[in-house]
Amino acid sequence: MISPKNKMFRLTGALGAAALLLSGCADNGNEDGAAGEPGDGATQIVVDTTFDIKTIDPAREYEPTGQILVKALYDTLLTFADDDTTTVIPDLATFESNSDQTEFTLTMTEGRVFSDGAPITADDAVFSLQRLQGLEGNPSFLLAGVQVEKVDEMTLKLVTDVPSPSLPAVLATPSCGIVNSKLVQENGGSTSATDSAEEFLNETSAGSGPYILEKLDTASEAILVKNDKYNGPQKPTYDTVILRNTEPATQKMNVERGDSQVALGLSGDMVDSLADNVNVESVPSATVVFLLINADSAISEITASSEFVRAVKNGINYDGLLEIAGRGAAQATGLVPSVFLGALGSADALKYDAAAARTAAEASGAVGQKLTLSFPNDIDPTGLNLTTLAERIQSQLSQVGIEVDLAPAPFATEIDAYRDGKEQIGLWYWNPDYMDPANYLAFGPGQSVGLRAGWPEGSNPAIEALVSQGYTTGDLDARRTVFENWGKAMNADSPFVPLLQPGSNVAYQPSVSGVYYNPVWLINVAGLGIA
Amino acid sequence: MSHMDDAATASFAAGPVTDLAGSGGQVADAAEASSAARPVSDVAGSSGRGTRRSHGQLWRYIGKRLLIAVGLLFGMTLVTFSLTNLVPGDPVAAALGQRAADNPETVARFRAEYGLDKSLPAQYAAYVSRLVRLDLGVSWQTHHPVSEDLAKAVPATMEIAFGAIICAVILGIILGAWSAYRRGRITDQVLRLVSLVGISLPTFWTAIVCFYAFYYRLGWAPGSGRLTPGVMAPPKVTGMYTIDALLAGEWRTFVDASAHLVLPTLVLTLYTVGLLTRFSRTSILEVLDQDYVRAAKAKGLPGRTVFLRYILRGAAVPILTMVGLAFGSLLSGTVLVESIFGWPGLGSYAYQAASKLDLLAVMGVGLFVGLVYLCINLLVDLAYGVIDPRVRIGQ
Repeated sequence: MISPKNKMFRLTGALGAAALLLSGCADNGNEDGAAGEPGDGATQIVVDTTFDIKTIDPAREYEPTGQILVKALYDTLLTFADDDTTTVIPDLATFESNSDQTEFTLTMTEGRVFSDGAPITADDAVFSLQRLQGLEGNPSFLLAGVQVEKVDEMTLKLVTDVPSPSLPAVLATPSCGIVNSKLVQENGGSTSATDSAEEFLNETSAGSGPYILEKLDTASEAILVKNDKYNGPQKPTYDTVILRNTEPATQKMNVERGDSQVALGLSGDMVDSLADNVNVESVPSATVVFLLINADSAISEITASSEFVRAVKNGINYDGLLEIAGRGAAQATGLVPSVFLGALGSADALKYDAAAARTAAEASGAVGQKLTLSFPNDIDPTGLNLTTLAERIQSQLSQVGIEVDLAPAPFATEIDAYRDGKEQIGLWYWNPDYMDPANYLAFGPGQSVGLRAGWPEGSNPAIEALVSQGYTTGDLDARRTVFENWGKAMNADSPFVPLLQPGSNVAYQPSVSGVYYNPVWLINVAGLGIA
Repeated sequence: MSHMDDAATASFAAGPVTDLAGSGGQVADAAEASSAARPVSDVAGSSGRGTRRSHGQLWRYIGKRLLIAVGLLFGMTLVTFSLTNLVPGDPVAAALGQRAADNPETVARFRAEYGLDKSLPAQYAAYVSRLVRLDLGVSWQTHHPVSEDLAKAVPATMEIAFGAIICAVILGIILGAWSAYRRGRITDQVLRLVSLVGISLPTFWTAIVCFYAFYYRLGWAPGSGRLTPGVMAPPKVTGMYTIDALLAGEWRTFVDASAHLVLPTLVLTLYTVGLLTRFSRTSILEVLDQDYVRAAKAKGLPGRTVFLRYILRGAAVPILTMVGLAFGSLLSGTVLVESIFGWPGLGSYAYQAASKLDLLAVMGVGLFVGLVYLCINLLVDLAYGVIDPRVRIGQ
């Protein structure tokens, strides 16, 4: 009776041993931690991130991972240098604008070619931009109200009805990437909603960027290989770039072991406990986390009062919030984050003043009442846990006499209440769509985010005047002043409380150089080099 | 949310087979509660006499089960559809970016493209009519047909699930038998404690600990994903990298894919083996003292024969029921394991779809998991007949 069982135990033991032996046989990444060399002298770099991607058709994509890939596959007419997020520079074209900032003439750079060797002309640029507008997809709003015309073989003109000083920055977003119009049209592409080229573009890249697409699986990985025909300024270093979908906890172990060379998704806490053999680039991200206090008295008489808004603005201990935000985070001095033109200095930021907050809270009638703080609890903007943040805010407000109940809900559910302006107090965040402060004017009275706080047009004429100046002022210095004034006025009188910019943390092996955070495309993989 | 969906699907699918296993949700209790004898009468009916007659009965039984399965699948679409639409929240706001959702043209086009501009009954009718043509629709999360997405995700999950269930069955029966043979002794107590721990540990925790220990600390196992970066996937035949690599004769890829399988399979095995050990122990205990076992021992049959042909066979029917249910719950239990190991399988797909209110993808996953439950239950039922002659001759 014992013998068959013993046999089976031996069998089990043998199976276990075989399994471990097998594990030992596998390639354990690059044990020496060097940026990878698959064996034949070619160089490869593995970048781990948590995927948020639907497509890599430039005219359709609008998710963070899509932006990273499209940036590497498609050149844009204009761009930003890796280490400067304020000045637009030429890429596939140079530009000039009229003094009103309503007409932009773009001249294509001579000699640039697509990955199949075809020269890039104004036709390609016009087709790409008109396609972005015509598809009515996620990023189509970027070029709303812009008329795109071809002037000659190498020149195109963009015309707007109102002054649009932010248009050059918009043209630098990956969604405005230039596609090979002939190739895309052959594969179902058009400039109307009938376009059917998405499937093709998810398998084949049709751009002129430093890399071409080898493989895309939106659930697991993307593989890019060097574009041999690339003749632009950003010569790539690595022959192959592999972007993998990995959970943050796994990313940390992978980069520490050298299985990956770059990890993009680590939270502030995680980078604090990283091993010494990993470098970290920590900067405040361009994501602004803010509180919305509904100004609509139909939603709450209390939150609609200016005393209550003042009580909250004074009642939050901003330094206390940074303690839980981890490395790289900074107080949001205003709604415009620190990397943009017109951001406020720390002297103009909101300040904690418990005594003033308590007085204002009493005047507002909030003391003894219960209010609701709503927020999405299944999304961590730049690694920041909103539930922890909401709990800290709840306890801080309680100390100045304001009691709030926390009402967490999944993003997909809560976004409705937020968009419909139904939240009493909301905890949300805003990522920039393009690298220009005009992005943030949406928080003004009667603008899209302003309306979510029950703040219609006519609520504050002074701020509204600054909003229209913000949209139209072209001169750089004047623009900076307008945005600074707008930011100060918003801090004083808007129903929004800018809280913090979570840290953007990129962990990387010391063998890698050229790691820069970008507010729109997060990281330029073509700029990564060997240290 | 995906757990909720999975659980709903699972219990719904398993519901009508309660005559075999009780409610699908409470796997352990329900299965322990249903005893070996019950399915016997259900499968072949009590009136059947003689082989021909029982064959006819069998075919009628299979036919009936298939008809019920079709009805169940239909009901499942209705339940999943209603549940997904009951969730407060507009899929448009979830699917589009903030700026795009402000643009009425973009929203209108999105609604038209996915048929969301029609009434709910019309949407459901359109879905069912497509389903009849085996078209699961297009996911608005991945922009791919749901069937294509499933064809990629399912083999990845099956690769770990098959491995895990095979290991868990072998280990579970061995440990269960050992425990039963040594009933009341220290080995039994230790094994029962260990299996309790196995059942109680959350899989995501086991997954992180295993990954940390075997990959990060010891370096015995490879990193996350299905293959080492740079190793190309073998040409697709089954979608399971190990099998495809063998078929293509790519030994290096085979070894690499197998090595990546070890840890996720181990974690899922631990998750299931505790359950199977406890269950095997109970079932084996039930037959251990039966007269026919004692008679076999008295006859002087070798221990191996007694164990394999008398004890194990007698205990097999309830164990088999449990294995079927455990396999189904493995599929829904892979969500967190897959995310820790960067495994692009059904679990991660379901989670993504549910969190983005991707209706068609959620329904696709629900239907698939339901179908697996139905098939497994059917197979298990038929296997009873093979294992237990009483089922065949209907006594």
